[in-house]
Amino acid sequence: MDSLLDQSSLFLQQLVNGITLGGVYALIAVGYTMVYGVIQLINFAHGEIYMLGAFLAYTMVTFLGLPFFAAFILTILICSCFGIILDVIAYRPLRNAPRLAALITAIGMSIFLQNLALMIWGSQIKSYPREILPSIFYQTAWGLGEVTLSWLQVFILAITVVSMAILHLIIHRTRIGTAMRAVSLDKTTSALMGIKVNRVISFTFAIGSAMGGMAGILVGLYYNAIFPTMGYIAGIKAFAAAVLGGIGSVPGAMLGGGVLGIAEVIGAGYVSSEYRDGISYAVMIAVILFKPSGLIGRQIGEKA
Amino acid sequence: MMDLKKMQKNPRFFFLGLVFLALLLPWLPMGGSTNYVIRVLTTAVLYMVLALGLNIVPGFTGLLDLGYVGFYGIGAYTSGLLAIHYNMGLWLILPLAALNGALWGILLGAPTLRLTGDYFAIVTFGFSELVVLVIRNELWLTRGPMGLPGIPPPTLFGHPLTRDWEFFYLILFILLIVLAVVTRLQDSRVGRAWFAIREDEIAAQCCGVNLIRYKVTAFAISASIGAMAGAFYAKWFKFIHPDMFKFWESILILCLIVFGGMGSIAGTMLGALILIPLSEVLRAVLPQSLFSARYLIYGLVLVLMMRWRPEGLIPFERAQARKAWQAKERLGS
Amino acid sequence: MKPVLTVTRLSKSFGGLSALKEITLAAHPGQIVGIIGPNGAGKTTLFNCLAGLYSPTRGQIRFQDRAVVPEFSEARAHHIRRCAVLFMALGLVWLPLFWSFFLPAAFFKVELVLLGIFILAMRFSLMRGLMRFQMWAWGLMVLFLLSDLFFAVWWLIRLSPSVHLTGTHIPLRCLAWPWAIGAGVFSIYLMIQLFTRQVRQIYGFRQSPDAICQMGMARTFQNIRLFFNLSVLDNVKIGCHARMKAGVWGALFKTRAQREEEAGVEREAMECLRFVGLEKRAFNLAGALAYGEQRRLEIARAMASRPKVLLLDEPAAGMNPRESSQLIRLILDIREKGITVLIIEHDMRVMMSLADYIYALDYGRLIAEGIPDEIRNNAQVIEAYLGGGPSHAPT
Repeated sequence: MDSLLDQSSLFLQQLVNGITLGGVYALIAVGYTMVYGVIQLINFAHGEIYMLGAFLAYTMVTFLGLPFFAAFILTILICSCFGIILDVIAYRPLRNAPRLAALITAIGMSIFLQNLALMIWGSQIKSYPREILPSIFYQTAWGLGEVTLSWLQVFILAITVVSMAILHLIIHRTRIGTAMRAVSLDKTTSALMGIKVNRVISFTFAIGSAMGGMAGILVGLYYNAIFPTMGYIAGIKAFAAAVLGGIGSVPGAMLGGGVLGIAEVIGAGYVSSEYRDGISYAVMIAVILFKPSGLIGRQIGEKA
Repeated sequence: MMDLKKMQKNPRFFFLGLVFLALLLPWLPMGGSTNYVIRVLTTAVLYMVLALGLNIVPGFTGLLDLGYVGFYGIGAYTSGLLAIHYNMGLWLILPLAALNGALWGILLGAPTLRLTGDYFAIVTFGFSELVVLVIRNELWLTRGPMGLPGIPPPTLFGHPLTRDWEFFYLILFILLIVLAVVTRLQDSRVGRAWFAIREDEIAAQCCGVNLIRYKVTAFAISASIGAMAGAFYAKWFKFIHPDMFKFWESILILCLIVFGGMGSIAGTMLGALILIPLSEVLRAVLPQSLFSARYLIYGLVLVLMMRWRPEGLIPFERAQARKAWQAKERLGS
Repeated sequence: MKPVLTVTRLSKSFGGLSALKEITLAAHPGQIVGIIGPNGAGKTTLFNCLAGLYSPTRGQIRFQDRAVVPEFSEARAHHIRRCAVLFMALGLVWLPLFWSFFLPAAFFKVELVLLGIFILAMRFSLMRGLMRFQMWAWGLMVLFLLSDLFFAVWWLIRLSPSVHLTGTHIPLRCLAWPWAIGAGVFSIYLMIQLFTRQVRQIYGFRQSPDAICQMGMARTFQNIRLFFNLSVLDNVKIGCHARMKAGVWGALFKTRAQREEEAGVEREAMECLRFVGLEKRAFNLAGALAYGEQRRLEIARAMASRPKVLLLDEPAAGMNPRESSQLIRLILDIREKGITVLIIEHDMRVMMSLADYIYALDYGRLIAEGIPDEIRNNAQVIEAYLGGGPSHAPT
């Protein structure tokens, strides 16, 4: 029989890992939820931007020899631009088309990008060289008995928290943030009020993609493995997190990400590790069936 | 001299002509590559069956089903396991697989079909992923990643079917059955109810169409057709493996119907007939590494079609207009 | 004569916005009842409630003496709230017994504590959802009660006599069995309470629009909702849907019954088209029709279900005087067939020549009702809707 300390330390370690993972999911989920808020479209290709972030940073560090932090910043910028390009060429022409058409386009883009990455980088798993980060990152920052928290995890959590804080400030304290909220409530009226709707939408894509790309790099560092189909799996999990928190609500995405990360790690530890991905699918299906508005989100209303 | 006008008025002649041509195909001289061509055509016809099955949900009722490959996999594994453990013949397996597919269609559809389009799409996607996960992990049932080899070939009156042209005729036969089912459904009260749902759900409800019942029916029939196709696939390939039923297959089938024209039966079949042999051409032309990325083209096709010709090659409206015109000619009014 | 349709104190609010407030009206067989009012007064919302597309917040709708929306009973609502609280209490009582069963094996398991707290939290949020009449809470509650029942039965069957309450010599069975029986009976009681039709209707399980169509109420829409990519004849055939019986079996095997039904439906559909004057366009696509023809097609489709009550939502919108005269004749012909008509219209000429009785709405409230002459001279109606003083009223 395990001692009390052994059991609870295993549990706490899982909790710590879960929160870290949850932070990453929250970063990706925020992108999904913001885009859904402004154009009511599930951007399936968002997962691919996350994957692109991971691969771009990898390419820059390995082939171009850039220092890590330069690559980090540059990748975020490129992902941002990429999000805008995605919107302009794929989604904007279909702004007034039926929902089915936009959904199919999103799926098509996702598949296209995954396979493009497959063609460019090959299907083998790659990892970031260990030297790019100072070795302190892999050491324990804080420990309580068996429970450890490495500096890398601290770094990830710190970046997540800071990004969320910045995002919150942008949405609630700046003009463009207010414009974003207006467009997500009523596009037509916003346009009539003089808001340049297309520009706001592009900005939304830019921020969401930046955060998604950042999450990609962080995950690449944390798990030390990147592959072209990572976007697709993480994308679905992040979408589950966004739905869990309430699609269209940014605090909801943050909460949903945290809850899903913890649930996945605990489930994988205590229930079954093969069905690790299945837990996210199950959570998502359960939320959609029973409470589609999520934990925080607004009511999905009726319309005639 | 064949009366072309008469042929146009009565599509049956045109159709019978095509069937006759298809039956002749294996016997046309094509030199040494005959078997290869027949295999390609068998694949094409198999995908025609799959496309017809998927077409019922987004094409007839207007809902996006992203989890179709789940039913394909269920049908294949049902067939493989029944054949290996119970030595059942194909003629018993096909209806059983269809029933299993329909059962899962109802189980999945009943709670989820009241959701809006986006959520329904995601839930179906989650379902197909769960199916693949279960197949991969439940080794006691499906042998998981080791696959299921050694599926015995189908037999007809004791004679095992092993030659390529025999399989071609078999899938052609299945296609004809599925085609009959789909066409009859389309021209009936059930089909009209489905089209009404596709066009305008609210108006359909107010005309007395029970949304849930008809959506679940469509979903179940679509699932059973997918399962039947899977059953054939297991018997033909004689080896199945969870990697054959990835999400990307669903996208491929979706691509076929989007390209050909969602909702129109002829368009769906045409889409499969064009794109599947095309992918074989790609396989011959491209090096192996690029070929595994061929789904890139399918993704691109989806995006481009939605941008420039979302109705597909043979649009739904045109099919309806033609049907109306034919009805008018028949009534003579 | 008994009214064919009665609406009693109907209210509908969307979140904080109340669209309809205590509307009471009645329609008698063979009447043409008019509904007028400025835009946003709630007229289409009223039709949507009648047709079953919206679930009213309060009030009752009776159609041919059958309840479409039953009366909202305060007593019933209070009863539900009590059930919700009892459900929560059941959870609190159950939990210590659950712990005491596992705890002898291991003194303190973090996971168990968390699981217990998690379940309590879920029950609490369910209780709150139930009290706010949310559908998801109703569904999940039933599941929870089933699991309570299952657990109770499991205790009864599997609990061995040797298990003792932690740190004592009392066999757990003495406590567990009475509890299990009580919890089981109570779960069953709660489930029965939740399954009564009145409770289900409060949670939004109202009569669905297709059931209402089958009962005999059909409607047209303010923005034309035709099946544009289908032929005109098919549109009307779909209108007949509710009266037909053929299903998948009949369709697949083309049974004699199905073929006869199809032939009959085709004849009836052509009949409806002839009634509205569209038989020459039967084989065109509905989207290709002119605007006035499309409005007539909607009426033909609604007529195809042989309704007893027909709801027309602004049928004369966008029509010129000649077309609206034809429409007036058409609606009078419909009345000749014995169908009761409720009509929303802004065109006063059409309204005044057709209506036997008019209800006037403004901001969701009924401001006046009466025969057309009374309405025309009613000061409130004039101010809200008709415009100006009596000298400005239309003839």
